[in-house]
Amino acid sequence: MPSDSEADAVVLDAVTHTYGDVTAVGPVSLNVPAGEFLVLVGASGCGKSTLLRLIAGFEQPTAGSVLAAGVRPVPGRGAGLVFQQPRLFPWRTVGGNVALALRYAGQPYGRERVEGLLARVGLHDVAHRRTWQISGGQQQRVAIARALAVDNPLLLLDEPFAALDALTRERLQEDLRRVSAETGRTCVFVTHSVDEAVFLGSRVVVLTPRPGRVALDLPIELPRTGIDPDELRGLPAFAAARAQVGAAVRHPEGVLA
Amino acid sequence: MSTSLETRPVTATPGATTALAPPRRKRRILLRLVALVVLYALWEITARTMNNPTFIPSPGAVWHQLIVTSSVHDGVRGYSGHLLIEHLGVSLRRILIGSVIGVVGGLVLGLVMGTVTWIRVVTEPVVTFIRALPPLAYFSLFIIWFGIDETPKLWLLSIAALPPVAVATASAVLGAPTGLVEASRALGANKWQAVRDVVLPHALPEIFTGVRIAVGVAYSSVVAAETINGVPGIGGMVRDAQRYSQTDVVVLGLFAIGLSGLLIDALLQVAEKRLIPWRGRA
Repeated sequence: MPSDSEADAVVLDAVTHTYGDVTAVGPVSLNVPAGEFLVLVGASGCGKSTLLRLIAGFEQPTAGSVLAAGVRPVPGRGAGLVFQQPRLFPWRTVGGNVALALRYAGQPYGRERVEGLLARVGLHDVAHRRTWQISGGQQQRVAIARALAVDNPLLLLDEPFAALDALTRERLQEDLRRVSAETGRTCVFVTHSVDEAVFLGSRVVVLTPRPGRVALDLPIELPRTGIDPDELRGLPAFAAARAQVGAAVRHPEGVLA
Repeated sequence: MSTSLETRPVTATPGATTALAPPRRKRRILLRLVALVVLYALWEITARTMNNPTFIPSPGAVWHQLIVTSSVHDGVRGYSGHLLIEHLGVSLRRILIGSVIGVVGGLVLGLVMGTVTWIRVVTEPVVTFIRALPPLAYFSLFIIWFGIDETPKLWLLSIAALPPVAVATASAVLGAPTGLVEASRALGANKWQAVRDVVLPHALPEIFTGVRIAVGVAYSSVVAAETINGVPGIGGMVRDAQRYSQTDVVVLGLFAIGLSGLLIDALLQVAEKRLIPWRGRA
């Protein structure tokens, strides 16, 4: 084990995961330093979601080891999780969903705290609404607010914007980029979109098709704060990174060799 | 005996009435009113042409009995010494106590059945067996065990009301959505919190359907329970009236049971809408 593992938010050491006789992932070794925004990209079925579930503690590796904040991950401890579907609880109001997360964390869950968290993800005046009365994009924002409610050092996101329309997706990407910079949390984000990966990540890892392995590990040298999203997308460095990641996604074997 | 078997007021009408457009709704109400008037007219005509009040009492005779059984006449209080409303009240009280015991028992049993596999394997055939029995079939056993007073009646209603709730709860708990349970675990819920905050609320709509069926079963069983030492009680009243061929009182009893049953089911539906606004949204 590397000696600096204590400083890393997530350490994957030769991790393999199999379902029956199908090897979904691995072996994969990755160190994610605290504060990094890591994006895992790959075609569907490359095991990137499995990797995220391993980090969340919902799955155990068949071989190798997973450490989050230096310990074996347990669901609900140390990491907030956002899924592809919002997975809100319809028997609670929007605010009630956020309050529940605060309650589990043993924090005060008064109205002010709830409204503050919702405001952080760009939602105002929705706390009293029912979950089905707000749009899909808003629902996903609530899911993010819920995951942020606990002061976890780690935020895991599994294709959270895949089911949204293009315009809403861009807005949420911009807001997530801002929120992650503001909170300084370590993020691991799974997507199959090259654009999304380069826009969000401070580091992009491309996985090969099943079994998923690291095909490309690329630091993204783009400013994290103080830049307009459109301006960012227009930078030459953005286009270059996108081209490199795109090529790796399309021809992962070539990069490996 | 025949009277008690014919009086099955509410075998819970499942499926809440969907909201209809106002004009269609108005037409439906109008149609129902017309049907009621026609039925009433048919009854009146039949009663008059047959001219045999023991076979078919006229609406007027039934109405007269309503007044007689609801007041004190010549020192006689209502029917068999109790007013109609008192007979009905005693029956409703039995239904209430029996349903509450049955629902609470069914809820606990269903929760355990839904979460502990070996208990489900052991109890499922028993619950299904009891559910298949007509309540009257095991009533004789309760009479032998508990005598003829209040105890066997309450046992009967409780046991009859339990299986629908237990089965509904167990199946709803078993069908808990893994995605939402996982979401709660990801937020830091422990097992118990996941049950309380996700599994149970998700199961509520199905449980409530079970409760409505249970109350319906208790309702139809109370008349059977009151065939033995059932006065005061609406079933006892009907049974006595049948013995003395007071057909108008029998018919009056049927109306009392049927209408109060409809009312209770309507109340349950309103409660359901208020308590479970997310029904059909989860």
